[in-house]
Amino acid sequence: MSYYFTVLSPTDVPLFNIAFGTSKSGGDGIARFRFPDTAQYMNQFIIHSSLDVVEEAQWMNGNMYLKHIDTYPPASAYISAFLTPSGARFLLLHQPPQLPTNASSATTGSSSLLGSSFSGSAGSSSRASASSVAANPTSPQTEEAVRQFMTEVYENYVKTVMSPFYRQGMEIKSSVFRSKVTAAGRKWL
Amino acid sequence: MVVYSFYIFDRHAECIYKRRWLPRPSSVVASKSSRPTSEASAPATAPPAILGQSARTTDDDAKLIFGTVFSLRNMARKLGGEDDNFVTYRTSQYRLHYYETPTNIKFVMLTDIKSPSMRVALQQIYINLYVEYVVKNPLSPAEHPGGVGVNNELFEESLEQFVTRVLS
Amino acid sequence: MSSATKASRIGEELWKTRVDKVNAELVTLTYGTIVAQLCQDYDGNYQEVNKQLEKMGYNIGMRLIEDFLAKSNVGRCANFRETADMIAKVGFRIFLNIAPTVTNWTSDNNQFSLVFDENPLADFVELPDDGRAQDELWFSNILCGVLRGALEMVQMQIEAHFVSDVLRGDDTTEMRVSLVRYIEDEMPPDEE
Repeated sequence: MSYYFTVLSPTDVPLFNIAFGTSKSGGDGIARFRFPDTAQYMNQFIIHSSLDVVEEAQWMNGNMYLKHIDTYPPASAYISAFLTPSGARFLLLHQPPQLPTNASSATTGSSSLLGSSFSGSAGSSSRASASSVAANPTSPQTEEAVRQFMTEVYENYVKTVMSPFYRQGMEIKSSVFRSKVTAAGRKWL
Repeated sequence: MVVYSFYIFDRHAECIYKRRWLPRPSSVVASKSSRPTSEASAPATAPPAILGQSARTTDDDAKLIFGTVFSLRNMARKLGGEDDNFVTYRTSQYRLHYYETPTNIKFVMLTDIKSPSMRVALQQIYINLYVEYVVKNPLSPAEHPGGVGVNNELFEESLEQFVTRVLS
Repeated sequence: MSSATKASRIGEELWKTRVDKVNAELVTLTYGTIVAQLCQDYDGNYQEVNKQLEKMGYNIGMRLIEDFLAKSNVGRCANFRETADMIAKVGFRIFLNIAPTVTNWTSDNNQFSLVFDENPLADFVELPDDGRAQDELWFSNILCGVLRGALEMVQMQIEAHFVSDVLRGDDTTEMRVSLVRYIEDEMPPDEE
């Protein structure tokens, strides 16, 4: 699984971006998107296009974690969202690796498969695969893992914006925050 | 018990606060004073300890008192070691009570001779009145040349209350 | 070391019984805002910011010592070593609920270091990454001033400065305190 995580200000200004891969089941933590040439801007595009859904979903329940809210099938990209009470939005794009068969997902080291960047809509196959976090973006286990990740990032986000030298709406350049997000990703995703 | 007067001296040897209360009833004064005739010329507010020297101002009193306690304290330290200090002395007319903080602020109170030790009372004035209403007042300066910042209403009123209610 | 343990006990006791508690984040955010504002006002001149913080601390220290004495009711310290324990185990304890370690004494007993394991003033803080703050700003410099102001009131002229700070990426936060001299009693001015 490859991830792209963004923090957006209440006025949709990107404050923080990070791309990383899974560290579960032998993953090496490096992001390998299906379309590496275009991933850089496509990921941002996909995330931003989900904002409308976020704005709808935020009124549906009182939770900060909105779960999986949007899917972009051409890149089999799944978006999960988390809202802070102050209106900042955490958006996580996750893209399952393209697996040849369902059975192999649990046993085979995923890193070897992730290297290739061939195309094709594998969304349906991976959605049906085993419930491991790395493979199934809509399973309850994945939702739970993402929730844990979001909560941990939120805690660190609060600490970061509490720094007296951080001003509201400023890009988060803190290396500490970046490493904390990386650590949270390694821990939960 | 009667309190005659009260002084605070800061670490620069300056008198930053002085306060006098009414003297003893004149009959008592008259019976004890060896020179009753001088009483008429004394200012009405002067304690009996300094009766008869009407020309002296309260400033002079403060200086005299500082000189006295300063010398006494140095003497006490020379004889009794660095941590020693004198607590009180009495004359036939009054009793002087003394308390000094580690920051060299000196609290002096003059009372009648029958009063018990006022050391604790002076310490209470320091802790509960001076620190609370003078030191912690953000608008008062950190140092009080000429008594600036000490003579605020809260401090004066609380002192008045303390002396009239608690001590008498 | 008996003076240190005695001081720890006093500090502990006072912290439990005599100290009004205030929300730590309030203190942290207030102090952080002051420093950030100073950095802005002095246009990133961190030397000047350090100086201003020290000065503010000095003014605080001159008052704080009275509160300290009123609360603790302790007498004069016998020597500078005792003073150090008093600062670390009682002073810091009742005002910040920390107890820095007293260490690195010089042989003449006139210089020591305070090593801070925690520093509530610097929670959440990350220094601005302008390439200079990391080398020039002593974020908690107000503490140096507080010590200077407080000790001056009890007749000790000292010099205090930070030598390292975890905010700068150092392993420890350490303040060096040196006794310059004991201040003599002031005499009233001669007039006549």
